[in-house]
Amino acid sequence: MRKMFVVALREYFAAVRTKSFLVTLIIMPVLMSGSILMQWLLRDYHDTKTKRFAIVDRTAGARLYPSIESTIQHYNEHTIDPATKKPILPRFEIEQIPASASDSDAVAEQRLELSQRVHKGELFGFLDIGAEVLQPPSDATGRPKKVVRYQSNRPTNLDFPHLIEEPILFAIQELRFERERVREPMSKLRAILRPVPIEAMGLTRRNPANGAIEDASLQSRIAPVAVPIGFMLLMFMVIMMTATPMMQGVVEEKMQRIAEVLLGSVRPFDLMLGKLLGMTAVSLTITTVYLGGAYWAAQEYGFAEYIPPELLAWFVVFQSLAALMYGSLFIAVGAACTDMKETQNLMWPVMLLAMMPMFLMSSVLQEPNSVVATTFSFVPFSTPMLMILRQSVPPGVPWWQPLLGVVLVLLTTLLCVWAAGRIFRVGLLMQGKGAKLGEMLRWVFRS
Amino acid sequence: MSAVAIEAVSKSFRQHLAVDNLSLQVPRGSIYGFIGPNGSGKTTTLRMIMRIFYPDAGVIRVLDEANRPRPSILDRVAYLPEERGLYKQMGVREVLRFYAELKGFRNSRADIDAWLKRMDLLAWADKKVQTLSKGMAQKVQFIATVIARPELILLDEPFSGLDPVNAETLRDAILELRRDGATIVFSTHDMSVAENLCDFIFMIYKGRKVLDGTLESIQDAYGNDTVRVHLDGTARFDDLPGVAKVTDLGRAQELRLAPEADTQEILAELMRRGRVRHFEIGRPTLHDIFVRIASPEETNHA
Repeated sequence: MRKMFVVALREYFAAVRTKSFLVTLIIMPVLMSGSILMQWLLRDYHDTKTKRFAIVDRTAGARLYPSIESTIQHYNEHTIDPATKKPILPRFEIEQIPASASDSDAVAEQRLELSQRVHKGELFGFLDIGAEVLQPPSDATGRPKKVVRYQSNRPTNLDFPHLIEEPILFAIQELRFERERVREPMSKLRAILRPVPIEAMGLTRRNPANGAIEDASLQSRIAPVAVPIGFMLLMFMVIMMTATPMMQGVVEEKMQRIAEVLLGSVRPFDLMLGKLLGMTAVSLTITTVYLGGAYWAAQEYGFAEYIPPELLAWFVVFQSLAALMYGSLFIAVGAACTDMKETQNLMWPVMLLAMMPMFLMSSVLQEPNSVVATTFSFVPFSTPMLMILRQSVPPGVPWWQPLLGVVLVLLTTLLCVWAAGRIFRVGLLMQGKGAKLGEMLRWVFRS
Repeated sequence: MSAVAIEAVSKSFRQHLAVDNLSLQVPRGSIYGFIGPNGSGKTTTLRMIMRIFYPDAGVIRVLDEANRPRPSILDRVAYLPEERGLYKQMGVREVLRFYAELKGFRNSRADIDAWLKRMDLLAWADKKVQTLSKGMAQKVQFIATVIARPELILLDEPFSGLDPVNAETLRDAILELRRDGATIVFSTHDMSVAENLCDFIFMIYKGRKVLDGTLESIQDAYGNDTVRVHLDGTARFDDLPGVAKVTDLGRAQELRLAPEADTQEILAELMRRGRVRHFEIGRPTLHDIFVRIASPEETNHA
């Protein structure tokens, strides 16, 4: 027992005292929030190069084009900062293309021609307004067919179609009223037709301090999504941050023949348990740092109620079990390999297990208590991450589910540790060539 | 009483029989040298003594343990593997303390400093292992092996890669450990070290014991069958009467006598061929015995 702790202590300090540990500890959240930060920093930055678009208005008399033209004209007046005289938005240029004949061959031909111009770079994209836009024909399900299209080889840049969408709609509405001989003034009609957006919000509640009823806050909208995602990513990140160096450590011990010396003093199983214990301690250290930081931030910005202490406790429980479970898998991989390169090949099944909850994340977030989400959260290798995800999405899960999850994970962990112990014992002294997956399984089940 | 008692032990890896029905008694307080070609089973035997491997058949008893092996016995046994065996990222003193604690030896600070001083490594005590030269690392590894005051010390190739000064330091340390009552078993490819340092020599070849005993007893088994000669200039040594094999050492030659050869006749023949500077009848060296057993062209070994 004592020796196991000697090993655990060494592992812990070997991991924690390195510079790279500190750097990773700082860098990880920076990287994670980096992309968000980048977007925020670049929110005012736009490519100000002039972009050219072609418009094919197939309505009789091309009556929609003028409204587009005036919209663009108005827009272009605001592309230059009046104070600095510098462009802040791209200028849009449009050219009207006379509509082709209305048969489908001619239309297709014209679209091909314009597409080729986009391809050559003469145009950024083109807008094709179908002739039927004033009374669009319905498809089989009764919904109107889409007859206006914007074609471009840069489908992610939708500034132009977004700009003209509403003016076109208004122009079309005007024409439709005209056709139907509605004589009301347009301003009145527009007020009647004003769209009604639905706003997604959290819950209204009573402030326990002063008894006042408080409307749903911004936090209450973000937190139910941000907290679960944060928890799950943190768990995944911590496992990767701790298990990978431990696996590399095992490979190093093999390469440097340290394993022989260790086995001359410690039983293989104690050695492995010591390592796992050390790794779990490291992961809890990281967790404490990050969770502590997150908790403080939550207090500061009014998120605190979304990170209740019992959820934190569950997180620590699942995090520890995940460290032991995945740690034993990583250790087995390390023991079966004779150099770092070989670990790559044996890593992927373990990585796949660890990644599985990631693939399921968005579906579980949407329906945390669906049959699929519940079922997968009881698959032991996914349980720690998926259960904490489900627990942290309000209103949470039935009380027995995390308990059952812990029991299942515990059993799986014991199984993994046992199997890894057998692989570890055989693999640790093996030199020369790494083992295959089948060979590792044979080590587990042999005598 | 034996420090190590190996009784009819066999061990195979897959199809390969690494150790074949081996028996060996290592007396307490002795220095026992393991020799044998690469891959003959030396390291496997050492690892079995250390309980890193378990024999397929037979029994190995270490120190005074009864028939049932106890894990705690390992605290009194130390093992230095061939080369390396240290964490590169750890400091010298730190790694020594770790290995001491692994053997259950606490409060090792004074011992560590004494050993570092003795091995002339005190200046490196807080440096990382990876900054050490090969010879220094080897010495640190030796300290790591003996730091917990083991009663039985197993050393796999302790002298390889050491310069003469360091080799001497190490030899003195080994002798002193023995004086303090430790039993030392080591493997080596250096026959002169084995001849000079060991009380007993054990040779293993293809997993079988081929030699075991004191140097004298081994040499006695071969008798005075070796003649060392040195002739002026170049002379031919082929077709000498009663000579089974000639080993050309460069400036001198070693002649192995056939049974019942007449050394006078050989001397007379040599005098006919050239000017004899040196003619010595003696017992074969350990080196010679090793080669006789292990070289492929030899067929008639004892």
